[in-house]
Amino acid sequence: MKTLMTDVLVVGGGLAGLRAAIGAKRRGHRVLALSLVPPKRSHSAAAQGGMQASLANVIRGQGDCEDVHFEDTVRGSDWGADQIVARMFVNTAPKAVRELAAWGTPWSRVRRGDHNVVINGEKVTLTERTEAHGLIAQRDFGGTKKWRTCHVSDGTGHAMLFTVSDQVIKHEIEVLERTEALALIHDGERCYGAVVRDLISGEIFACMAKATLIATGGAGRLYRVTTNAVICEGMGHALALETGIAPLGNMEAVQFHPTGIFPAGILVTEGCRGDGGLLRDVDGHRFMPDYEPEKKELASRDVVSRRMEEHIRKGKGIPSRFGEHLWLDITLLGKHHIEHNLREVKEICETFLGIDPARHWIPVRPAQHYTMGGVRTNPTGQSPWLTGLFAAGEAACWDLHGFNRLGGNSVAETVVAGMIVGEFMADFCDDSANTVAQPIKLAEEFVQRESAALNTLLHHPGKENAFRLCTEMQEVMTRCVGIFRSHDDLQEGVSQLQRLLQKSRDIGISGKHSGSNPELVAAYRVRRMLKLAVTIAHGALQRTESRGAHFREDFPQRNDEAWLKRTLAFWPDDRDATLPRLEYEPLDVKRMELPPGWRGYGAKDYINHPDTPARQSEIERVRNRVQTEGGDRFALQEALMPYADHLPESLRGRNERLDEPLENNP
Amino acid sequence: MSRPITLQILRYNPQNAASRPRLQSYTLDKADGMTLFIALNEIREHQDATLQFDFVCRAGICGSCAMMVNGRPRLACRTLVNELPDTVVLAPLPFFELIGDLSVNTGKWMRGMSERLQTWLHAREELPDLRRIEEKMEPEEAEAVYEMDRCIECGCCVAACGTAQMRQDFVGAVGFGKIARFRLDPRDTRTDGDYYELIGDDSGVFGCMSLLACHDVCPKSLPLQTQIAFLRRKMVSQALQPAVAQTAN
Amino acid sequence: MQHIMTAFFFCNAPMSESLFVVQSGLAEALRKSRLPGLLDVLQSVTGLVLALFMWGHMMFVASILLGKTPMWTITKLFEGYFFFGKSYPGLVSCVVAFIALVFVAHALLAVRKFPASYRQFRAIRAHAKAMRHGDSTLWVWQVYTGFLLFFLASAHLYQMLVWPQNIGPYASSDRIWSDGLWPFYLTMLLAVELHGGIGLYRLAVKWDLLPASRAFLKRLKWGLTAFFLILGLATLGAYMKIGYEHRFQYGERYTPETLPGWLLPFAPAKDFSGLYPVEATFGKEAS
Repeated sequence: MKTLMTDVLVVGGGLAGLRAAIGAKRRGHRVLALSLVPPKRSHSAAAQGGMQASLANVIRGQGDCEDVHFEDTVRGSDWGADQIVARMFVNTAPKAVRELAAWGTPWSRVRRGDHNVVINGEKVTLTERTEAHGLIAQRDFGGTKKWRTCHVSDGTGHAMLFTVSDQVIKHEIEVLERTEALALIHDGERCYGAVVRDLISGEIFACMAKATLIATGGAGRLYRVTTNAVICEGMGHALALETGIAPLGNMEAVQFHPTGIFPAGILVTEGCRGDGGLLRDVDGHRFMPDYEPEKKELASRDVVSRRMEEHIRKGKGIPSRFGEHLWLDITLLGKHHIEHNLREVKEICETFLGIDPARHWIPVRPAQHYTMGGVRTNPTGQSPWLTGLFAAGEAACWDLHGFNRLGGNSVAETVVAGMIVGEFMADFCDDSANTVAQPIKLAEEFVQRESAALNTLLHHPGKENAFRLCTEMQEVMTRCVGIFRSHDDLQEGVSQLQRLLQKSRDIGISGKHSGSNPELVAAYRVRRMLKLAVTIAHGALQRTESRGAHFREDFPQRNDEAWLKRTLAFWPDDRDATLPRLEYEPLDVKRMELPPGWRGYGAKDYINHPDTPARQSEIERVRNRVQTEGGDRFALQEALMPYADHLPESLRGRNERLDEPLENNP
Repeated sequence: MSRPITLQILRYNPQNAASRPRLQSYTLDKADGMTLFIALNEIREHQDATLQFDFVCRAGICGSCAMMVNGRPRLACRTLVNELPDTVVLAPLPFFELIGDLSVNTGKWMRGMSERLQTWLHAREELPDLRRIEEKMEPEEAEAVYEMDRCIECGCCVAACGTAQMRQDFVGAVGFGKIARFRLDPRDTRTDGDYYELIGDDSGVFGCMSLLACHDVCPKSLPLQTQIAFLRRKMVSQALQPAVAQTAN
Repeated sequence: MQHIMTAFFFCNAPMSESLFVVQSGLAEALRKSRLPGLLDVLQSVTGLVLALFMWGHMMFVASILLGKTPMWTITKLFEGYFFFGKSYPGLVSCVVAFIALVFVAHALLAVRKFPASYRQFRAIRAHAKAMRHGDSTLWVWQVYTGFLLFFLASAHLYQMLVWPQNIGPYASSDRIWSDGLWPFYLTMLLAVELHGGIGLYRLAVKWDLLPASRAFLKRLKWGLTAFFLILGLATLGAYMKIGYEHRFQYGERYTPETLPGWLLPFAPAKDFSGLYPVEATFGKEAS
């Protein structure tokens, strides 16, 4: 058996994994990264619109700071987020943007003087400050109070991924491309690495490490219509779930992006609306102000997606042979703006729709976009259940996004979590308490177990087709576990998925070779995908409230009293299991900096948590005290919810802004 | 009514000693909006589960699915079946290591190219103070850098390159594009002398014969012709400089 | 081929440090040679010189289309006849020698880019064919025509170098018709015009110094090639016709019966005494 030894094993070659790898490597540890595809092909590249960081360089971002970003994020999450993590995140995001700038990301920059922009359907002139000329620019995005989204035209994820990936090459970090982790090696308490399969040769071997990071992105391919890449099948989620020990958090929280092009589901960025694009119905009517008079097209994604589906249900959709859709109108932004700031959108429209978005409206309909749920971790990124197992980015439930992620917070999370978790993994490896003998015998058992399983699968004379099972699962998920959910649909979904999961134990494979074999890959993956799908559906069925992206028609209110808690899903250690075991982790209102309230958009009625009023008055008291003491916003924040100790030392400290110069002390 | 399309796919599995390259035909019905991504997946789902090909983003962003469509490299995910003739030959990209059928190992070559050309920013400061306001940069400079940064390393340019078909060590347009990108970046400290060390030979810019197929097939429409010409002029003026400047180490 | 060139450039260099470094297989560790850059420029410059020369050359030989006397005049001009009062065909040899030198240099430089093995040749040919890409196909044609020119142009240059006196309305025509060289010239014409036209276009896109789009350059290239091909074919036809009519006077040289008035003052009086005052006299070309 081949065994590779390393200090840090990174599973996943996207932004989160690569950034964490660099962090650990810079601290002197040996790092090995696994990637299904060459890292620069990772789905991080598809993030178009940008990354949120409160730099406050543009005039419409003036006054922005960590506090505003924090509030936007927590409101966006519908109070599902871990507020400590949100604080760590908003304080590190500016540092992440600046680090990427220093590494070469060609961020779009502020140009001094007058600019004509479109806001709320009207042409407005904004004047940028001379002193901001040449600093990193921000654009508007949904669910934010300030213009905060730093961007590289509309190829932000691509530019960031190439920058970080090139740094990986510079740091001589080895990436095993076209390899896939099949299982985590663990003894029930500690994780020792992973069993890995070479997707070209079919070889199965062990990668043993002190710290193992899951950074495999989302699981959008559980749905038929998704903006996600075909590799986003949730295999990292499944790695943790299948241990039976490390749970997944909030898997029922699935985000649908308002503007997937119809019917292919390819994403056109939120930047289209951020830059002034409008949503129109069959009559050409701009309908969002009717539903959301304040934020209109720029309410959070869960709200906009729901309003769109609601409007289509009212018969206002545009019929087509593939179903109904709505229009995204960016013609008013003008040809020049589209060609410079939205060129990726232009290319996509030309290629897949054959239209020029400067002259024609774009057919759109909400499509699955983001998996808020993931491997549940503590703020250091480590699973409290399995020592040595870390997770970061979309694959993790860190939990920055709660039940709805804000646009621009995803790529931001990848690099920020990469920076933070990378440091904590390095700390973990430095700590002599974690230096244990690597149980090679155990690794061998795991390798043999996986090899035997694959061998059985390859030669099993089953009658099910893996590709068709996958399609069926996607249909069920799209039909029963979509934007609008109800008990009956979810119940139907759960039982259908259970049935498919059972059928997946009888898959037959026509090509018997064990090397590069797409059918074999589809077969072992669809089994895992079905476990994730049933976890999502089951969690959604149990959660009898509406929160963020999880919307129950039969329980339309957010219910903080009963449901201000995180779902934890464990897969039972039983071959015949078809349902996860659910536990719940309560969120403590008494320690929240921002107790639950109205989000500022969407439904206004919710059932309060009993602790909320007390916490609110406590916060008022603290606020008054700090103000009379003459304390600034930092003092107030510190008094409400201290978090700095949670950050790695190298990433602490305030962020400088034009309007908030940094004193020469730390 | 939908018309059928026949895809003749070059099948070969280098892992199997008995395998010989051959064209295998698959017929399916065209549909509106059907791309080669959809068509190939349909074939794999319903006709031949062993067919190997690569897709990731299926939106023309990641560069995974470059293949030869009727002899020319292009991104399969962005190729609409309706725009193709009724019979189409699909073949893997030449030059790169073949994994099987339409799947090639572009990633391995690209990493080698990156290591060889040091395609990362050579900054003045290794670890800047991240709390401080970022260094300024002219908006036009950032845009110019991004223009070249849009390369997705799909390999189309190399597969289309006559020189690369004859010289395995040629860095290709993708390599020149990278160098041009960092050369344009005011944050990079390297000089033309440094770049000459990377591409100043016949496996670099002087090996390029300006057949410009790279420029013509680039799915991102990068201005490769002008950028390579520009690099060539800069590298030549480097070569023509007095020997003293050159050899000073 | 590049190694041969390198050796060629270094053959007179004294035994140096670098010699032993290279012999030890450590060349890659040295700073890069400036040679490839110089060679790339030289290849372009020699190509440019040859192509421009070819256009001039074509204009000169095409003077036959205006008549025998204009062609004779140009020939004599190059032989210094109107400056020194006597023909010095050696002057033509000097020009030929220079061009031959440029030609050899260009050939050596260009051959570095040729397919070096059958494997490479097969690869590039299949590539250009399957790609159906204009510029790549043109390059394959450049290889074919370049290969032909190795022989054709070498032979022609040798001929002109050794027998420069055999240029003239009758001398050239006899060579083309009675010596049976017209297939040789026809092939060379096609090869030269294709090779030169493609080459100039390639230079334009390679160095990108002209403020013109590639599409325009390509149209211009085809226009010029067509123009020079037609001109060349007409010229060759004219020589063949004269050669055919002159086949029984093979060897006889041409002397104009008359000269245009503006040229007369430059013509040596002894050869054209009969023309003062202007009056037709029959004479023979100086032999």
